[in-house]
Amino acid sequence: MMEAQKNIELSRHEHKPLQVNPIKHSQPMGAALAFMGIRNCLPLMHASQGCASYTKVFFTRHFNEPIAMYNTSVSDITAVLDGGDYSVLMSIENITQKNSSMKPELIGLHTTGLTETKGDDVRSIGTHVEIPYCYVNTPDFEGGMESGWALTAKALIQQHTVAVEDVKPNKLLLLPHVSIQPAEIEKVKECCESFGFHTLALPDLSTSLDGCLSDGQGKLGTGAIGIEDIRELASCSTVITLGSSMKIAAEALLKKNPNITHLHFDHLMGLSMNDNFVASLMKIRQIDPTPLLKRWRGRLQDAMLDSHFLIGSSTFVITGEPDMCAGICETLQSAGGTVNAVIATVYSPVLKTIKAKNVFVGDLEDAQEYFKDADLVIGNFHAERILHSQKKHTGLILRGFPNYEELGNQLKNDQLYEGSTYFLFEVANKLREVKHYT
Amino acid sequence: MVNRAKIKELMNESACSHNKDKKKGEGCDKPKPGLAAGGCAFDGAQISLFPYADAIHLVHGPQTCLGASWETRETLTSYEGRDHTVMGFTTGITTNDVIFGGDKRLADSIDYIMQNYKPEAVFVYSTCVTALVGDDIDMTCKLASEKHGIPVVPVHAPGFVGGKNLGSRLAGEAVLENLIGTKEPEFTTPYDINLIGDYNVTGDMWQYLPIFEKIGIRVLSSLSGDGRVGDIRCAHRAKLNVIVCAKSLITLCRKMQENYGIPWVSVSFYGKRDTTFAIMEIVKALGDEALIKKAKEVIAQEEAKLEEALQEYKALFAGKKAVLNTGGNKAWSIASGLQDLGIEVVATSIRKSTEDDIAKAREYLGENGLLMKAPASEQAKAIDERGAHILLAGGRSLYTAIKKKISFIDVNQEKKVSYGGYGGLLNLAEDLKHAFNNPVFANVSKKAPWEAE
Ligand code: SF4
Repeated sequence: MMEAQKNIELSRHEHKPLQVNPIKHSQPMGAALAFMGIRNCLPLMHASQGCASYTKVFFTRHFNEPIAMYNTSVSDITAVLDGGDYSVLMSIENITQKNSSMKPELIGLHTTGLTETKGDDVRSIGTHVEIPYCYVNTPDFEGGMESGWALTAKALIQQHTVAVEDVKPNKLLLLPHVSIQPAEIEKVKECCESFGFHTLALPDLSTSLDGCLSDGQGKLGTGAIGIEDIRELASCSTVITLGSSMKIAAEALLKKNPNITHLHFDHLMGLSMNDNFVASLMKIRQIDPTPLLKRWRGRLQDAMLDSHFLIGSSTFVITGEPDMCAGICETLQSAGGTVNAVIATVYSPVLKTIKAKNVFVGDLEDAQEYFKDADLVIGNFHAERILHSQKKHTGLILRGFPNYEELGNQLKNDQLYEGSTYFLFEVANKLREVKHYT
Repeated sequence: MVNRAKIKELMNESACSHNKDKKKGEGCDKPKPGLAAGGCAFDGAQISLFPYADAIHLVHGPQTCLGASWETRETLTSYEGRDHTVMGFTTGITTNDVIFGGDKRLADSIDYIMQNYKPEAVFVYSTCVTALVGDDIDMTCKLASEKHGIPVVPVHAPGFVGGKNLGSRLAGEAVLENLIGTKEPEFTTPYDINLIGDYNVTGDMWQYLPIFEKIGIRVLSSLSGDGRVGDIRCAHRAKLNVIVCAKSLITLCRKMQENYGIPWVSVSFYGKRDTTFAIMEIVKALGDEALIKKAKEVIAQEEAKLEEALQEYKALFAGKKAVLNTGGNKAWSIASGLQDLGIEVVATSIRKSTEDDIAKAREYLGENGLLMKAPASEQAKAIDERGAHILLAGGRSLYTAIKKKISFIDVNQEKKVSYGGYGGLLNLAEDLKHAFNNPVFANVSKKAPWEAE
């Protein structure tokens, strides 16, 4: 009975007709963020102005940074009469004319519910665009932020990576899931570099929304990977997917060159997943990790022991994008934590592998039932008000989108031995604070 | 359904100065591909109605519309029941609904809401996709209203019909057609007003409502700051409509004048002069000598109290000059507030301003004030030439302040405290004091060790 019920919820055979206090974010938002992680990319949302405006405000407040984003401003007239060509082409002309100093090297066009419903053929529009052009179909009545981001990575590879047969032995591509923040991907890249890999990431926000003060921010994407790099991705010897959502992008890359080795990790948090990761890198490169990396493993072991007493006697609820939930859940469980519920934004196969008591797709109305017995909730800022209003004192650690409460979100790091260490300490300290009250 | 004739009428509102400077056939809100930056009509509609805490706001559309917009505005309420302004409800339609229509999901959602939350009313917002697919939202709302015995109000402002401003007008229409005049107030007074267009963001209204109370002005209903659905249904019995800084709701007021003979005044409660002016406009429009006399007394008291509290700040701000780069009515309303504090405003932006706003800006800044048409490129020069000490602008201009080594306030950032009324001026003064005292801009602007002098 329990099992059956779990499966029903997992497949989201809707237990109610609406969402109350949603945590889900749309596919177009994920796509827009992905394009910001490409150097000199002009992210262009094919939509009426509102979707782009909301998305811009959302990321501005989460990152506290100016956000590069444009939209095609579909109006009621173009919605009926135009097949998309007019608004898209006019937009590109208007935007580039208005900012004559701006030299986009890629147009990142993606759709929304509206433009999918009216059936615009965004693929063919590209033939009229002089600047390199990538299109992604991201209706917001399907999938979520995580899939929008992944679909964009896949589209970039499909449409721009040139097929080859040879590989460069030390060239590595990371495909990080959407919840991996700018500083995190930088750390993971550094770690791979320390094994002697020439490392790229797609998308790569490490130089885009990383909170680095500079002039002229917010006009184009400033990610650490450019269209030239994307063209040559098929010469990577290894591709590593971080998060199950990113598998589709790796598959697209393998089609460009079947000789690439694909390694997959559901996430990069906690001791055992990182042991697997490091073992794989060691095996390919046949070298030992750096002394510092080894030391961080020791620190993580120590952190697990130091925190296990608090974590081991506590119950948790996690809400957010599936790939992020998977990592957090496993890390907490590795130090003895009891995860009562994981409430995910959308369905993903990774949810089947999460070993929490209850795992399902839902909203904060659903989550609230589980908040009542939790010591600590890990979720986005929307959980805060709900927790304030309940009797039991439950702590909150803010992770995932959006976090309007705290500053410095882009520099938080939960990945690798190092990030997991800090994460466990943060959790334990928060628990101590919470348990003080009760 | 989206009513095209109505949209056309609203875009050419005769009582609105927007339409004067537009070419024939253009009216308000025509987005230019690629260059439209603000929110959509749905956004505007939601902003206008969301503060009704006793109603539930159900967004019939896919994920972007509500997912990114709920719990983002500090529209405070004193409602003692469950506060729905900090909640989000959406049908979150999926592919199936796009293919087969979302009417059933909508009806089921309303039933769910009634079973679990029991609000005073439900507002149902159509959005781009559900409008394009052609869901019969009017019918679903009508049936739900009959079934549950509360108003279920369809709001037809899908994003693609235009920008925020139009959406707010459409919200006004929805309220006029479905709510106003559907209930009688328990009692009336000769000093009953409706407040239109103040959303009580960070408690703005609460800065001046106590003053109303002292004078004897009663707020019968509000659209929609700290508002109640039950009250707005009685709005037709007010003696005066007071529009607060919201051109978009002029149509509503004009129609209420036509239908119910209620006159209206348009005011702002930003800064000392505007607040005083606003109160006097209201009492004069109510036309009662005793009330006017009382208002004058109260204003004198309040102003004296304020002046005393401001002494300390005025001494601090003496000789300070500011450049202001922000849009719409903020271009002059913030200027007015700054001037009340003894700060000279040497330049302000008139980008995208209406004729009215430009005239107001000129009036406040005086002959020598610089009105910037292209503030992004003009502000740096203005700071140098006029010797400004502070820049008040959006986040993108931060770099200008750092280069010029002057103080900065992000006027577009979500403010945490109210700048409205007499009391709000003290909050503004406090924020300015901190900005002037903070050495961070000068410190940040230092050269890096590897940068050549
Ligand atoms: S533009 Fe349309 S789809 Fe986008 S947020 Fe506005 S109503 Fe929703």
